[in-house]
Amino acid sequence: MTDLEKKIKAKIPGEDTGIEVKHAMCSICSPGMHCGVDCYVKDGRIIKVEGMESHPWSKGKICVKGQSGRDYVYREDRIKTPLKRVGARGEGKFEPISWDEAIAMIAENLNKVKAEYGPESVMFLSGYCKWYRPWLHRMAHVFGTPNFGTDDCNCSAAMVVANKCTSGTGGGADFGKCNTFFGWNYDGYYSNHMNVASVKGVKKRGGKVIIIDIRETPAVKNLADIFVQINPGTDGALALGMANEIIKNGWEDKEYVEKYTHGFAQYKALCAEYDLDKVEAITGVSKDMIKELARLYACEGPTACNYSASALVHHINGFNAHRAVLCLSALTGNFDRAGGQVPVPVTYLHKSAGFSTREAEFRSSADPRKTNPDCKRILGADRFPLWEEKFDETQTMDLLHQLTTDEPYPIRAIYAHGMNVKMYPESDNLARAMAEKLDFFVLTDLFMTYTAKWADLVLPACSSFERSEIKCYAGGYAVFTEPVIQPLYESRSDVDIIYDVYHALGLKDELMDLGYEGSIDWMFDGCGTCVSELKNGHNMPLKVPNAKWPVAPGKQLENGFKTPTGKFEFYSESIAKVDKKYGLDPLPVYYDSLADEPDPEGRYPYYLCTGARLSISLHSRVHEVPYLRQLRKHPMCEVNMEDMKALGLKDGDDVVLYSPHGEITVKVHGTFKIKPGVILMLHGYTEANVNLLEGRDHLDPYSGYPGHKGMRCNIRKEVK
Amino acid sequence: MKKVFTFDQDQCCACGCCVVACTDQNDIDLRCGDIPFRKTFDDEFATADGHYSAYISAACMHCVDAPCITACPVGCISKDPETGFTIYDNTNCIGCKSCAMACPFGAPRYRHSDGKMVKCDGCNERVKAGLRPACVKACPFGALDCVDEEEYLASGSNKACNVLIHNLDLRF
Repeated sequence: MTDLEKKIKAKIPGEDTGIEVKHAMCSICSPGMHCGVDCYVKDGRIIKVEGMESHPWSKGKICVKGQSGRDYVYREDRIKTPLKRVGARGEGKFEPISWDEAIAMIAENLNKVKAEYGPESVMFLSGYCKWYRPWLHRMAHVFGTPNFGTDDCNCSAAMVVANKCTSGTGGGADFGKCNTFFGWNYDGYYSNHMNVASVKGVKKRGGKVIIIDIRETPAVKNLADIFVQINPGTDGALALGMANEIIKNGWEDKEYVEKYTHGFAQYKALCAEYDLDKVEAITGVSKDMIKELARLYACEGPTACNYSASALVHHINGFNAHRAVLCLSALTGNFDRAGGQVPVPVTYLHKSAGFSTREAEFRSSADPRKTNPDCKRILGADRFPLWEEKFDETQTMDLLHQLTTDEPYPIRAIYAHGMNVKMYPESDNLARAMAEKLDFFVLTDLFMTYTAKWADLVLPACSSFERSEIKCYAGGYAVFTEPVIQPLYESRSDVDIIYDVYHALGLKDELMDLGYEGSIDWMFDGCGTCVSELKNGHNMPLKVPNAKWPVAPGKQLENGFKTPTGKFEFYSESIAKVDKKYGLDPLPVYYDSLADEPDPEGRYPYYLCTGARLSISLHSRVHEVPYLRQLRKHPMCEVNMEDMKALGLKDGDDVVLYSPHGEITVKVHGTFKIKPGVILMLHGYTEANVNLLEGRDHLDPYSGYPGHKGMRCNIRKEVK
Repeated sequence: MKKVFTFDQDQCCACGCCVVACTDQNDIDLRCGDIPFRKTFDDEFATADGHYSAYISAACMHCVDAPCITACPVGCISKDPETGFTIYDNTNCIGCKSCAMACPFGAPRYRHSDGKMVKCDGCNERVKAGLRPACVKACPFGALDCVDEEEYLASGSNKACNVLIHNLDLRF
């Protein structure tokens, strides 16, 4: 081998090897991340990826999913052309058609349903990724339907709504200044590789790190001074018990409570019901530890706390559990204070960058509920009025119900990008109801997914390496990315597809008509830069001139909280306004996370927690990526060692997980990391979709969120 | 300048970044059953007072006195005089697997596509070009590193991979 051949084989960039390193952005996981990636490109093809060292936010770090970027982009099941269904719905038989035919077919079918049933009977839905949502959202409204929905009906936004009802805004942990960090459900290593260093920083300063989790994760081993292994689904009770201890000992921040909070007397009375004996019995946390946690939170501050997007709110008592945990921050005077929780407003698409945009206005100023007095209520509104009031999207967990009953009105067409029925309870029943009731279902995706097989028309989208998008980052940065490779096959950018559909539908709207880049400039007006400047040819995020970073705490305390009373509401006036027939309590009351499905005969004695994060997965998005699949070859549940023994199981055995709603067959792995009686299972596998075990009504009444992380199940050895 | 791979197990979570980076760098053909040169372990052990979770990343140790070198009947394996990595040229490889059998860790791999042996070469070419080994570059938590031997010796660290592996009594 010559020296040059050796260099080419080792992928050394340079003119001699013809390998160029191009900056790009990974968009495999949540838009809260989206790290910078260096793509090694040769002859128009990516031959390797690694973290982009010069990226001002991610600083060269990517997670294992991002590290698989090349394999993700070149997956064998990428959709290559628009495909029209030729077999029965769900059969997966398609034939290629042209883009022109596909767009015409969409316009004809959506307008037909609109004419026959009304615009509300057409839903516009989005799953991952999320970058095109402002345009899809606005197009839905301009079309005349309020029914725009996303995975926010199932991830993270319940926390946002709970915040709105309590503190008005969220609050991020102030890692840089806290003395005590409460890592409530904090697993860092698996779900946020960027903030592990921040927690290490707290330790390095001599601060204390407490982790409260049902699972002993690497974060527990590497970071925790104290690990509290709580019974699953009981976090709300622990928070109320800690609050009771804090109040009993007079440790609350009396001045803060007096000046900035609302409903303390009622909250205090609620907490008083949670004495040490009761809380120990519910949570499995010892009385001494509850006392110590209360002392640490209140007396060793400033205290910052981790609020998780899904760990708590994926319980049917999770909305209140989050509120109960959030209340500790105000009780101890840590909310909106340095070293505690700092509210940092979102700039654009889930990212905070120290400046404001008109994203919300772009999305919702054409809402037909504002412009058309005859517009019907959004899907899910009747069952989840708090959601309707606080979040401008459908509570799509009600879709199966509305499809099967046609109440309060029929849904007859779905236009979707990235929709994933595997994320819904009773996924197969939902797919079948869609097949039975819909006149038309079109789905855009990168891959031929389980959901795509149920569509009438499937369109190929391209990845973030193959298109452009606007992205903001903490630190006051923004970038308008440019593609590093041409779109594969006939795939296209989601926004280009949306614009083609918009035009074919014959819609007219002043803001949409600005075009993609024009509407970004409209939304970002006033930030001191624009798309043409952010397009710098290197995909390098630039400082936004008018961004102010870091965001200083104290604004809510100074100007008032964004709640009805202008205060932090222990007693939520927004919830108090909801019709009493829904039974929602303005206080963060605790109730059992399995209360809706009593099992007096003990047929389903195990507590099934699905979707607890691992590094190798994100919903169903990367299960089919071979680079990642090699790290866990089979769908696998985790069972405590004692239970393994009692059940006569050994590692690698096939087991059946079952509930009254369904069953799946998976491998089993014994572990010490969870308590006996608990079973963990990753969601999103097509061949073993654990959401089949979840009933359609196992929902949190406050948010409509499914209890993915707390449901009943049983397990048996598979007999072949 | 000779190089030493170091591993700090207190920073590791077995996320697999290093394994995937190795797969990507070396174009490992997973479909035909090949496996990358680096492997992570997420293991638990019962102990007298409970249990211990081990998160480990391991590959070729680049032993000073590498038994694979002498085991190869056709002289494919050698030490790079500059980096000290155990490198190979498998032009003459007969696929006898003697290197893998001689290795206490089973680091050399049999490649299905051409029946030849392959192994971690420390990303020798990358290191010579001033880049870090793919696995080291990929580690988001600072668990894996590759440092100059002098720097390592001066640091008084005991985190060299080959030392750790003996401490943990782990085998592939």
